[in-house]
Amino acid sequence: MRRTTAIAGLAAVALAAAACSSSSSSGTTSTSSGGTVDFYSSLPMQGASSAQTVPLVNGIKLALAEAHNKAGQFTVKYTVLDDSTAAAGKWDPGQTAANARQVASDSKAVYYMGEFNSGASEVSIPILNQAGIPQVSPANTYVGLTTSLPGSAPGEPQKYYPTGTRTYLRIVPIDSIQAAAGLMAMKQAGCTKVAVANDKEAYGSGLATLLELEKGFYGVTITSNTGIDPTTPNFRSYASTIAGQGADCFYFAGIVSNGAVQITKDVHSAIPKAKVFGGDGVCTDSYTSATKGGVPAALYPLIQCTVATQDLAAYPGGKAFLAAYKAKYGVSNPDPYAIYGFEVMKLGLDTVKNLAAQGNSKSAVLHALFATTARPSVLGTYGFDKNGDTTLKSYGLYKVGSNGEPVFFKTLTPTQTVK
Amino acid sequence: VPVHPLRAVRRYVGRWGLIAALAALPIYYGVHDLVYGYQAGYVAGHAVYRHDLSQLGYNFAQGLSNGAIWALIAIGYTLVYGIIELINFAHGDVFMIGSFTSASLWGVLGLGLTTSVLGLTGGLLLTLVIVMVVTGSLNVLIERVAYRPLRNAPKLAPLITAVGFSFILQNVGLIWRGGSPQSVPDLIHVQQTVFTIAGVPIQRGYILAFAVMVPLVFALTWFINRTRAGRAMRATAQDPEAARLMGINVNATISLTFLLGGMLAGAAGLVYALYETNIWFFQGFKAGLIAFTAAVMGGIGNVRGAVLGGLIIGVIQALADSRMGPQWTEAVVFGYLIAIMVLRPRGLLGEETREAG
Repeated sequence: MRRTTAIAGLAAVALAAAACSSSSSSGTTSTSSGGTVDFYSSLPMQGASSAQTVPLVNGIKLALAEAHNKAGQFTVKYTVLDDSTAAAGKWDPGQTAANARQVASDSKAVYYMGEFNSGASEVSIPILNQAGIPQVSPANTYVGLTTSLPGSAPGEPQKYYPTGTRTYLRIVPIDSIQAAAGLMAMKQAGCTKVAVANDKEAYGSGLATLLELEKGFYGVTITSNTGIDPTTPNFRSYASTIAGQGADCFYFAGIVSNGAVQITKDVHSAIPKAKVFGGDGVCTDSYTSATKGGVPAALYPLIQCTVATQDLAAYPGGKAFLAAYKAKYGVSNPDPYAIYGFEVMKLGLDTVKNLAAQGNSKSAVLHALFATTARPSVLGTYGFDKNGDTTLKSYGLYKVGSNGEPVFFKTLTPTQTVK
Repeated sequence: VPVHPLRAVRRYVGRWGLIAALAALPIYYGVHDLVYGYQAGYVAGHAVYRHDLSQLGYNFAQGLSNGAIWALIAIGYTLVYGIIELINFAHGDVFMIGSFTSASLWGVLGLGLTTSVLGLTGGLLLTLVIVMVVTGSLNVLIERVAYRPLRNAPKLAPLITAVGFSFILQNVGLIWRGGSPQSVPDLIHVQQTVFTIAGVPIQRGYILAFAVMVPLVFALTWFINRTRAGRAMRATAQDPEAARLMGINVNATISLTFLLGGMLAGAAGLVYALYETNIWFFQGFKAGLIAFTAAVMGGIGNVRGAVLGGLIIGVIQALADSRMGPQWTEAVVFGYLIAIMVLRPRGLLGEETREAG
């Protein structure tokens, strides 16, 4: 009897825990008689990337709130999923797969916003592809997810689409453009010899490879491209090696959680005048700001990084977005990814709305997304090509302000990229 | 009794092969630097090559200072294994707690980049003392809660509780400072060159690592060899039953061992935070693995062996990092461990455990 009671007690505790966990991950909204469609985002909400993903989710919620949780005749139920774990401090393959499986099993799911990291999308795309769920990433840039361009791995991108039908799109320009923008920035900054380090993830190693492939277009010499072990306590030997190679600039291709701050500090100590460059994986205050665990303030004048976002105020509707963001969250200068969050949700809402009664059909939403050609948006007018890549071709170059925050410097539109 | 020729050859290879294996990398790169030179920078667009041993010297200086930190941690492993034959998996995490406590104390004491030299010296010495007390006490607590009740249990039982405590401490660190590596202030300008020896820049960090490690190791060696409590530790390590019959309080002696190991881990934690200017809840796992490897390499249970193992691993890491690329470092370190174990299964200076006699 005592045993039975104990088991019943345990079951009750487990049920309560399950109930708590499911409710805590839910974003909220009410349903209406017109029907409900389920939208999901899957992003790393813990660790260093949260400096980018929290504003991104804020942007998503802002767009949803402006639409009063409605997309045409449907009420949108939005759920925030976290593809990171506290222990990893960044995206986790198991958690990403679990998120994708959860959405794949939801019959009302019509729109999946994610992932933030290209490596994570390598995990979720095949799962969602088999379920026919339309997936739009607000941040992925790795070329191999959608193309077989130089810089992708053998078998890409077909291996991510087991059904043979594309289900994945993205609203940020791919890394062949970002790498070219980085090379342009380095050339303009007077770099003669660049040492590149990558974090060995899909995004980092892909971006580093593209830098090497495109260096000739922009007359930049890359002295080395090294895959680092992010768990290494320090990178001083590496830094002394690249100093010996005469590097006057350093490019980190990777995300903040993967040793970006430590390697930058060590390179700065070995080559104090070296200019430091990075992609969107590090263009956030968790890397650029000393007060937020980033690099020391002495490095601020030396850092430049690229993000797809350009001058927020100069975008069509950018000022309205900034005003609305400030009104809702009290922040006047949000992270560059906030506007991508806003747009990725707007895209989903508009697509469902335009489909009228068909808005709750996954296949109809998918077809409509790929059919988008000249969408006027807060990012400017854009569409998608047959691979699901945006037609936007510019990157923003950011410097670091005296407060450690990335500050938009100028727009870079590369003319030459690998084909 | 005539020695079998094959055994003689094996003994010969064991002795000289080990020396050859240890010297292989430094000799190879030394000769390479002298003959082919190494790129030392660029002048007017042209690569400048130097033909000397200063690059190798730099690798050694950097490796030895890194190794000094591993040595401090390795001593904790070796002391505990020597006395109760347990791999204390939580030891690396005690070291991590040492780093976290240090960084928090800097905040409490107001130590920053603008603190005066006097204030910094006093503050860091105070931090060292507090951290050693905290981590030493923590290690004693772990022993009391997770190991002592299992003294007569099968050996697997305390091994599992050690793994359990390792995870508990990792989670404490995770809750304390989050999941990502955190940058901490470079209080002592750790990479600033103090002086140069034969073209090798000696940085503040190198001096710090040795300034903490050498006195502590000497103090520990003196304590173990010269004091009554130290003799009790040695007696307990050799035969706990006989030690008990001789009137030694074995439990108290084992607690003392954990206290000393924990204190050294705390000191290593402070040096690590100052040296790396970067702390992470997971740092103890990797550091623990390296330090345990150092302890095994030097001869488990042997304090001098742990120090030697730590220093050797530090140098191997620096050479591999600098010459082959960081992606090869772990493979090279563990390749060396395998070679040393094959050539000398009891480690470089021999085990000092009950099994070894």
